[in-house]
Amino acid sequence: MENLQKALAQTNKTHRLSSAVDNVDKIIELLTAAREQVVGALDPHTTSLTITKLQNPTKSAFDAVHENMQKVSTAHRKLGKALDKHFPLKPLPSDHDAMADHPALINRAIAMHLLREGQFSVASTFIEEAQDDTAHHNPYHRTQPDDTPSVDLDESMDEDGADPDAKASPSATASSPGDGQDLSSLQSQELQTRFSEMYSILQELKARNLVPAIEWARANSSELETRGSNLEFELSKLQYVWLFKGPTVNGLPDDESNGRAGALAYARRHFGRFQGRHLCEIDRLAGAMAFASNIPASPYRDDFAIDGAFSDVASSFTREFCSLLGLSAESPLYIAATAGALALPQLVKFMAKTRTKGTEWTTANELAFETPLPARMMYHSIFVCPVLKGQTTESNPPMMIPCGHVLAKETLQNLCKGTRFKCPYCPLEGQIKDARQIIL
Amino acid sequence: MANLEASKINHDTHLLLDQPLLRLPYELLRKNFRSARFVTEKDAEFVKNKLAETAKGSLDGKSSPEDVVKNLDVMLARMRGLKRKLSTYADEETKLYRQIDARVAHLRELSDMHTVEDVKYETWSRRRLDRLMVDYLLRHGYNASATALVDERGMQDLVDIDTFVAMSRIRASLLGGSVTEALAWCSENKKGLREMHSNLEFMLRCQQFIELMRTDSPSKMNDAIAHAKKYFPPFNDTYPTEVSVMAGLLAHRPDTEVEPYAECYSAERWSRLADAFVDAHNKLLGLPSFPLLHIALSSGLSALKTPACHGSQPTSSSRPGHSTSLTTSVCPICSTELNELARNVPYAQHSKSHVESDLLLLPNNRVYGKARLEEYASKAGLGPNQVKDLVTGEVYPSDKLKKVYIT
Repeated sequence: MENLQKALAQTNKTHRLSSAVDNVDKIIELLTAAREQVVGALDPHTTSLTITKLQNPTKSAFDAVHENMQKVSTAHRKLGKALDKHFPLKPLPSDHDAMADHPALINRAIAMHLLREGQFSVASTFIEEAQDDTAHHNPYHRTQPDDTPSVDLDESMDEDGADPDAKASPSATASSPGDGQDLSSLQSQELQTRFSEMYSILQELKARNLVPAIEWARANSSELETRGSNLEFELSKLQYVWLFKGPTVNGLPDDESNGRAGALAYARRHFGRFQGRHLCEIDRLAGAMAFASNIPASPYRDDFAIDGAFSDVASSFTREFCSLLGLSAESPLYIAATAGALALPQLVKFMAKTRTKGTEWTTANELAFETPLPARMMYHSIFVCPVLKGQTTESNPPMMIPCGHVLAKETLQNLCKGTRFKCPYCPLEGQIKDARQIIL
Repeated sequence: MANLEASKINHDTHLLLDQPLLRLPYELLRKNFRSARFVTEKDAEFVKNKLAETAKGSLDGKSSPEDVVKNLDVMLARMRGLKRKLSTYADEETKLYRQIDARVAHLRELSDMHTVEDVKYETWSRRRLDRLMVDYLLRHGYNASATALVDERGMQDLVDIDTFVAMSRIRASLLGGSVTEALAWCSENKKGLREMHSNLEFMLRCQQFIELMRTDSPSKMNDAIAHAKKYFPPFNDTYPTEVSVMAGLLAHRPDTEVEPYAECYSAERWSRLADAFVDAHNKLLGLPSFPLLHIALSSGLSALKTPACHGSQPTSSSRPGHSTSLTTSVCPICSTELNELARNVPYAQHSKSHVESDLLLLPNNRVYGKARLEEYASKAGLGPNQVKDLVTGEVYPSDKLKKVYIT
């Protein structure tokens, strides 16, 4: 890219069409001047003289225009060469578009992405346009098979007091195929309300106001607890610390609800409900009162370091908020597109190879090539059977044998002699009935 | 670790999706120049001839000074017209150069990043996603949404709104039953279309013929024959069967049930014409035949997908609803947005296991990393020798756990 940028900088800025415009201007001037002379005299002799005199300068001006054109063309050709050299064209997969059959699902993914990015006005324009589109028998889409299934957000959306199991598997809430279209099931209004709530709470957190976040966490405390999240306590704890620091640090009004007294009152009022799970931490927080004068030198200094605390709670708040909606914290569309760019070279390489061999790209269950992704883009545990060299699946689950080693079920069946087998990794023998299917 | 390798940015291959970003303005630059040269040469030729002719007439004494003035006025009008047209082309050129500059600078930013963990990479990659989305929106004719997003993000020079808006206008006119705009586009791009052996113009001419026949009136029939005489001969050699079908159509009225003539009268031809136009348009400008977002998604969804993403039972690793706050993040494929979309793509291939360290087996056959179990137990306020299942919530004494060895 650097080279391309250099090449671009080198292109002569005068070799542009605008210089041809200047030369055309000159011709116009010549013609106008000649016209004036002819009109001024209106006698045949001056006229023929002027016209004859006009010949050569116009000719050279036209030649100049022509030359401009040549130079512009050369500049373009140079740019083209630089492009070919520094950014050579590589073929993209073009014969198989697995996504083409699901415009509705892609539209929905985009709409949700826009909403979670806080682009509410763009999202509503888009939803309107896309719905218009489907309503008018989508004039813009190619003829599509009309079986795109739609997923109802309902279930995962109604979080307040919802049975956590209902949210367990959003895929299970898929309504029957062909039933209604995409965006109408998105409930964008609902989603938008949620996300704007999230953004306003985050805004407050950024301004170091914990109250709205605490209120939200309290309203959803049972779900949060099921998830094993102690966001509510973390927030309350930070609020205690924040109050403890007093008006000079937190800038809140200097009254009895602020400072150490305020913190203590806050703790009395709210910490009771956390005693079961966080007694130890509460003890520490209360104990710190005794060291109030020199916290930084006390054993409690770590509890009271709040530098990163606000951004920490903000990110865990975002995560919890999205999780309660059944959504991942980072935009899946963003992750997928990034992963796509990372994995694409492998796909292109594979395509080139299969094309020379004449084999076909198939939509088998598993990709035919590896697409290594960074660790943070791996979300599930993956178990590759050391004997089978393949991933375990639902029909071929991982099995743990008594010695603690894990093998795929098929491997184990192949290893078996009668009902007994020997572990391929240690001298132990076992019986098939002692193998346990495990869930990773 | 293989993962460190995986997070490196390979500068040679990371910009596969971004090729049209520079190719398109370059193609447009060439096209713009060709049109500019064409009008210039035409007008220059005219004025040069006119001038020579005037000079000759004036010298021979055949034309009066008044005639000369008249001729000069004609030439001036021509040149002013040329100036106007050329200025438009020059402005277009300036815009395209500006776009190329901006795009190269945008792609250049990536050269300074070496791994995807770079904080700047996320910003860059988000911008790329925005570009891909705009490309998708424009290709589907969602022009208002695309414009709104572009304005919001301030990336006018990184996207090709004009090109696609023009395209969707022609497409819409075809779907609305008018070939005029598409024919005009064909004649603008005659050379390019010929080079890629496009049959678009022929198909449009056929459609005109069909429409004349559809009226089912004798006078229009003559028009149709005249139309065929005028436009079909150049295609006789290239598309003999199609031309003879068109000839045969003369004997079939619009309500015919005989194939292939009934098919000719079908309204679906229009949408096929629209598709053919889009294909020709994209091919001519070197654009991929389907949205770049599709390419990114089909590759990305597969790379991220695991057999567990559409499994019937929740695994011990991240799953929305079941996941606890201890799982780093919910899997994007399991998230509502992409779950259905990913159903039909293959899952990623792995040759190495990717599991937490120090795995422990709970009596209910679920396996978790030791660190996660301990953290969850302490968060749940359990005693020192107890653990709690992160998914099911069952509590077990620690001595019931068994170590799991993943080889």
